[in-house]
Amino acid sequence: MHNLDQHDAATVQRTALECEAIAADLERLKMVIADAGDQLIASFNEVGVLSKQPTRSADEQRRLDRAVATAVTALQFQDMANQLTAHAQRRLTSLHETLSKLSDGVDPLLAHSRLQPVRQAGMGVGSIDLF
Amino acid sequence: MQSILAVDDSASMRQMVSFTLKGAGYNVIEAADGQEALEKARAQQVDLVLTDQNMPRMDGITLVKQLRSMHAFAGTPMLILTTESSDEMKAKGKAAGATGWLVKPFDPAKLLDVVKRVIK
Repeated sequence: MHNLDQHDAATVQRTALECEAIAADLERLKMVIADAGDQLIASFNEVGVLSKQPTRSADEQRRLDRAVATAVTALQFQDMANQLTAHAQRRLTSLHETLSKLSDGVDPLLAHSRLQPVRQAGMGVGSIDLF
Repeated sequence: MQSILAVDDSASMRQMVSFTLKGAGYNVIEAADGQEALEKARAQQVDLVLTDQNMPRMDGITLVKQLRSMHAFAGTPMLILTTESSDEMKAKGKAAGATGWLVKPFDPAKLLDVVKRVIK
């Protein structure tokens, strides 16, 4: 193995950071999917029980409405999961380019943004700001 | 019946938004990206625009900017519903003319509450 010069060492460090970021994206993805699954199962069970009742008290109707609302929130996981996977894919492409350049001895800069499109690590409801 | 233009490239998100808004009595017009939304907005007036940010062809902030430059949409409330939660992006949304910034996932009751507050 050849000795890395200063330039190569910096690239390796950036590459390691990209790998770390991809791992974080995947971990977040795992949590989003797990959280959505838990919420959907809980909602499904609640709706399953309450919808079979011929009549419902006001409290039971509220619980049923709440279970449907929770399911609506949880079903948004696909959008968040898609963005996380797309972000990880962009990072992988960037890594691929970097490694290709490194092997040719060309300046390998990671061009893609580090801005994280999804910071949520679960399906808890997001914030609202009115301007 | 008040009309809401719901813009998102995710079919499941459009479905959840439509389910929520239609259930509350609103007429919902769907668009899969900013460009399609702009074309639909040129064809018919809506009472509120609810748009995602990251979309192919045209993003939400660009859509808001384009609509704000149209006389018919100068006073229309426009909400951005997105996974983006950074202050930097919110500031860009505000500067573009957005009425508010909602971070996904949304809670149906809270979304309806915000819509009722801003729709005319």
